[in-house]
Amino acid sequence: MQVEPPQNGEYLIAAYVITAMILLGYWAALWRKARRMLQLTQTLSP
Amino acid sequence: MSATPTEAGRIVRRGLGLSLAGLLGLAGVYVLALLYTPVEARQGLAQKIFYIHVPAAWSALLGFSLVGLASVLYLWLKDPRLDRFAAASAEVGVVFSAVMLTTGPIWAKPIWGTWWTWDARLTLTLFVFFLFIGYLGLRAALHDPAERARFSAVVGILGMLLVPFVHLSVYLFRTIHPQPIVLKPSAPSLPPEMLRTLLVATLVFTVLYLGFVTVRYGLALAEEASEAGDAG
Repeated sequence: MQVEPPQNGEYLIAAYVITAMILLGYWAALWRKARRMLQLTQTLSP
Repeated sequence: MSATPTEAGRIVRRGLGLSLAGLLGLAGVYVLALLYTPVEARQGLAQKIFYIHVPAAWSALLGFSLVGLASVLYLWLKDPRLDRFAAASAEVGVVFSAVMLTTGPIWAKPIWGTWWTWDARLTLTLFVFFLFIGYLGLRAALHDPAERARFSAVVGILGMLLVPFVHLSVYLFRTIHPQPIVLKPSAPSLPPEMLRTLLVATLVFTVLYLGFVTVRYGLALAEEASEAGDAG
């Protein structure tokens, strides 16, 4: 007799969305800092 | 050993590109996990959380181990590049720990019936996470670069010493956390589709780790270069 797997897809979606939010959020924070830094670099370079 | 802002900018750009490639790889991992791997009969779709939880744990523990290693080398060689790398690796390790500590309870709720339990593996992981938050706090609180590097190196080494306990806690203590299925003495016990997806995900998370650390390292270098410019 084949057993139906439990219906718990909402937990999978939550985990994947939160992971994407954390990693994209961190990348965006680094990108913002980098953009500010690169603007400063252009100002400082002769 | 001072770098010019242009060199720092080059490192930052390289890191941003690498981490962006890692984020695209993450989208690929989602596609593989959802469309390629089979649904586990007893755990259902929640089992697929494993393809991000395990690689996040790998990247976090890799990051914390390298903090310790760089700290040991810093205390020996006094090279500021090692201190800069340790700081970058600690911050990125904390980010991956946040992924591990959120996806773990989301998996645990449907499988164990509870979000959290004070199990040895979970408790030790949380402890290491707080220890490295403390490490970053210590760095922020100290202003003298040599003192900051020396004190934080000691904390970094202590953190690294906990990493083997986190990995071995499932053998050392009575725990409900699943045992390792890849990093164990015998061959991996997974169907080939699951193993391939897990290995791809681990590679993607390693690329993300390297990309983030490169950006963070470049930003620290740029800050130092600009401070040196202000002082000079």
